[in-house]
Amino acid sequence: MSERRVELIRREDNAFVEATMLDGLAPEDLLLIERVWGPQRLRLLEKLLRRGVPRKERPESLHWDWGLKSGELRLLEAKGFGVICQDEWQGAMLVRTASHFTQLEEDKGKPLVYGDYIEAAPWNWRVKVLGQESRFMGVGSILFREAVLESIREGFHGRLGLHALPQAESFYETAGMTRIGQDPDKQDLVYFEFTREQAQRFLGDGGAV
Amino acid sequence: MKTNGQHDEPSRKWLRKMAELEDRSGSVLVGGLAQDLGMLPGRAADRPRVLGRFVEFARRTRGLSVERLAEEAEVDLAELVAIERDSERQPDPRTIYQLAIVLRVSSGKLLELSGLAEPRDQELDEAALRFAARSEPSAKLSSAEQNAFEEFVKVLVESSDED
Repeated sequence: MSERRVELIRREDNAFVEATMLDGLAPEDLLLIERVWGPQRLRLLEKLLRRGVPRKERPESLHWDWGLKSGELRLLEAKGFGVICQDEWQGAMLVRTASHFTQLEEDKGKPLVYGDYIEAAPWNWRVKVLGQESRFMGVGSILFREAVLESIREGFHGRLGLHALPQAESFYETAGMTRIGQDPDKQDLVYFEFTREQAQRFLGDGGAV
Repeated sequence: MKTNGQHDEPSRKWLRKMAELEDRSGSVLVGGLAQDLGMLPGRAADRPRVLGRFVEFARRTRGLSVERLAEEAEVDLAELVAIERDSERQPDPRTIYQLAIVLRVSSGKLLELSGLAEPRDQELDEAALRFAARSEPSAKLSSAEQNAFEEFVKVLVESSDED
């Protein structure tokens, strides 16, 4: 496991704070993270149910529970990353670097890094209906950036593919990824790709924002 | 291959810009793995819209008018009409809960049918599909429909204790 220094923005005082990007998490490490995130998910769910907030307006990973998937996570050949700040997991990501290929005409069939999972800690979710703001800003961005860097390290020049949840589509689209379309094999989640040029632009100035 | 180094550490300007974008979007969730592991809810579009038909059949079986059912369940008449017509509008959880009590079915399952609770019961999905396939909305209850309805009610009532 290796680690690098990164920064996040603490919302409370809008200050840049030091954080650590851990590289080399195993998929089953999500179980440890879930021990902390799980109770937080439940607390949010209770609040949302009490308010009668319909499903569409609830955070989309509210019902996720990696604890129930321990067996499957152990078998998963994915590479994990996590961001730690102030001794807590602020976000996590899993990527796969083998057997995923570019669909875009440009570079079609060439290997890319596939983002299997990106999530911020429940206290970093913005839940407008409850007036909850994220404690740290930029957690998803710094993980997403790490996926692009991983693609460069693998020799894939930043090529990246991922399936975004509906509430996150605008993020990846505005970050400059190409929207390939709904994927019937993934319950119609929208599939996005970065070409090498788009990835370079994203690393440089934040893409098409 | 190494990264060229210049991009490894993002500038603060970059981070600020992306963090603002993240704020505007509200979510960064990537869900390929969650989908693979069955952690995404079923697509609402995949589920037959049977709540309205069910409520209507249940009401008619009891010989109740819409008004009377609204009274008994202490729910808004307009909302009950909207439910029976399977309108796009999502019903109020309280309404569904009240209807479940009066119609004597599991509130959890009725909430699932209404799209207010996570679909987790495959048997319910299948029962709803069978019911939808064998009944016509707003028609007189034929004996075949009556059978289809009764079969569906069984599934809706079963294990209501768990809810």
